[in-house]
Amino acid sequence: MHYTFKQLNKGSFYCIQFQAMASLCEVLVETQNAELVYKIGCLAEAEAKRIEAKFSRYTNNNVCYAINNAQGKPLAIDTETASLLHFAAQCYEMSDGMFDVTSGILRRAWTFDGSNRLATQAQISTLLPLVGWQQVTLTDHTLQMPTGMEIDFGGIGKEYAVNCVAQICTQQAPDISILINFGGDIQVTQARKNKQAWQIGIEDPTFKADAKIKANAASKPLKTELAIKQINIQQGGLATSGDARRYLLHNHIRYSHILNPKTGWPITNAPHSITVATAHCIQAGCLATMALLQGEHAEAFLDAQKVKYWSYH
Amino acid sequence: MKKRYIIQYAFISLSLIYLNGCTMLGVQPWERDLISKESMSLSVDDLDASLDDHIYFSKEGTSGGRGFSAGGCGCN
Amino acid sequence: MQLAKFKNINALLATATCSLFSNTVLATPLMNASDNSDIHNDNSWKIDTALMYYAETDRVSALEGIIAAKKDFGEEHILSGKLVFDTLTGASASGAVPQKTPQTYTRPSGKAQYRTPSNTTPLDDTFRDTRLQFNVQWSQPISEQDKISTGIQLSREYDYQSIAVNGGYTRELNQKNTAIFTGLSFAFDTLAPEGGRPVPLSAMVVDNTEGISGDNNISFKDAFEATRQQGGENTRNTVDLMFGVTQVINRRWIMQLNYGYSQVDGYLTDPFKVVSVVNDQGDALNQLHENRPSERTKHNIYWQNKAHFDEAVFDLSYRYSFDDWKISSHAIESKLRWPLTSSTYIQPSIRYYQQDAAEFYTPFITDDQPIPEYASADYRIGKLTTMTFGAKYLQELENNHSWGVRMEYYIQTPKNAGFEAVGQLQDLELYEEVKAFVVQFNYSF
Repeated sequence: MHYTFKQLNKGSFYCIQFQAMASLCEVLVETQNAELVYKIGCLAEAEAKRIEAKFSRYTNNNVCYAINNAQGKPLAIDTETASLLHFAAQCYEMSDGMFDVTSGILRRAWTFDGSNRLATQAQISTLLPLVGWQQVTLTDHTLQMPTGMEIDFGGIGKEYAVNCVAQICTQQAPDISILINFGGDIQVTQARKNKQAWQIGIEDPTFKADAKIKANAASKPLKTELAIKQINIQQGGLATSGDARRYLLHNHIRYSHILNPKTGWPITNAPHSITVATAHCIQAGCLATMALLQGEHAEAFLDAQKVKYWSYH
Repeated sequence: MKKRYIIQYAFISLSLIYLNGCTMLGVQPWERDLISKESMSLSVDDLDASLDDHIYFSKEGTSGGRGFSAGGCGCN
Repeated sequence: MQLAKFKNINALLATATCSLFSNTVLATPLMNASDNSDIHNDNSWKIDTALMYYAETDRVSALEGIIAAKKDFGEEHILSGKLVFDTLTGASASGAVPQKTPQTYTRPSGKAQYRTPSNTTPLDDTFRDTRLQFNVQWSQPISEQDKISTGIQLSREYDYQSIAVNGGYTRELNQKNTAIFTGLSFAFDTLAPEGGRPVPLSAMVVDNTEGISGDNNISFKDAFEATRQQGGENTRNTVDLMFGVTQVINRRWIMQLNYGYSQVDGYLTDPFKVVSVVNDQGDALNQLHENRPSERTKHNIYWQNKAHFDEAVFDLSYRYSFDDWKISSHAIESKLRWPLTSSTYIQPSIRYYQQDAAEFYTPFITDDQPIPEYASADYRIGKLTTMTFGAKYLQELENNHSWGVRMEYYIQTPKNAGFEAVGQLQDLELYEEVKAFVVQFNYSF
């Protein structure tokens, strides 16, 4: 285990920190019980790293690699993977095919580095046949998709991990308010004792590489000068989607790194960043991404969802 | 009779002290925040120590302590 | 108007989320340490470098550089290696007594002479050496509580070479609050000093004719050769044994107690050192090449404490050493690591060292006494007190690198171990202080 923890805010809660999924992961536990914090720290880090190891597309010995290298053959998958993919399938249907975990392959044509290099239509046209969840056959125990297609759990993995860790925390400490924050994707298990809210600062995403959110329950203002918005959260999930520096600028049009899986082209005129609050972190994350996929209609989409959100242009 | 009781009592309290002595040394895993800091590592200044040890090895009549003192240098 | 364009899918999404978490997570293992081993972030090489310059007033100066590398291959399988380079030049006390008249001595090589002015400690200024040392160490756990380590060290210099191997075993007990260590090391050294190894207690031959170089000086050459050993021991073997206990006392205090036993056999004499034979006027009649026993058994007890105050970390160590040459010593060292900001600290340090003389140490031999079997006038095994004052400044950089600078002032004060000076020696400084300044730069990445 490599996490650290310390007491903050005059001992009213502990802050556990570790690195996973290329993010700073924090777990804030409203307790004085160091033994419990120690246990939660162990479990939280192990769970985050388990999920990272299982679904990361940067290793070649996990389920993600097996799926993407099955060469068109049916592949036996475990229950957890099947459930996560069923969830992805539902998102695909709900968003009329816009939220698609097979669209990651389009990144081969697009490099979002703030430059003005657009992909060519020829490049995109060769990749488009490999995109589209409708080509995937998913059952409770198997998955089959055409050779060359790829599934990327990146869009839901971190939010999923936040919710898994939250569930473990609830099991371990059913009566304690715990905030899980993995690089800005957040879940609070239950309200704090004195109805006090956890205070979250959102940094301006146009200045930072990624929309970064820092959780901090201190009542004083956040130290980061970039914090432009403070959100109070009592319970539930919070997630942010945005393009920050990952965009292209061509003829004054800003092409976000969110790609339309139907055309292979980036969404334009979308907000830089959207933060959504709902009951669950993964739900908020999907809504934020789906909103960005609506481009200039992002806010209209979110208004229709009747959820609390913050968007930055 | 009374004497035996006293001896027994003394024995019990001694073993209690002993047990307490054991538990008093050390910390629980969740109390390792300071001990696990790099600055509390016994080998944190290893490079400085090895340079110092080399000076002292070649300038003083005794050496070692921290680790193996074995030679490797004709300077003494 | 646009509101109508979008369906509310949030309720559906909430249902999907709930079903995602109702049937999966509980079935998965909560902790599976072996799954994580390949995704640790700290699997790159950690490199520490240091460059040190050491300069004594009018005597030796040395430059030493170290590159140390360390890598954790996961689950505490740690490989570390170190490359040390040092080069040394300057003058060092030969052991001869100072005189009121200038003196001439033969260099250890036999190829030249050096002169010492009156009232001056005789210094042999031919010291010049370059050393390269390499070591590699491997350590790994063999069970939940047990760890083993092994290593090899090679060292090579102009007139000396050494190979050493070591092995160690550590067991952690009592919730990792206690660790016991036992280790063994063997070193095999070979020396080939320039000019050969002198015959023990033979007198230094000094050629008083002019122009000692060339073939016109056959008689000196023969005489010099006669003071050199033809065969005999030119190796030095060391066995080191160590036992250590590390104990966490409480949240702020950790200590270590080591016992070290060391057995050295072989050629332990310094081939460059001499002892003066003086008459009752204190006049040096000649210089005998020193001789030390060919065995030495050393014991070390080392006790280190680290205490964490609110901000600062205090390090206090004490070492007691004794051996069968009858040298015993005490060394006390303390350091205070004082953070200035979250990424910088200063660390003042002080060390006090005191040793008693070896039983065969003598600053000179008088001509009215028989020549002892063993004799050395090397102040480093005489009665000696040293002090070191140091300070270090270190700054951690944003990219996890750090740089530091360290300075030390080292004073050696040789003491009279109870020898009564005779004749002119009463007016001369037999125990001259040596002062050295050290400056060092560190960079880690």
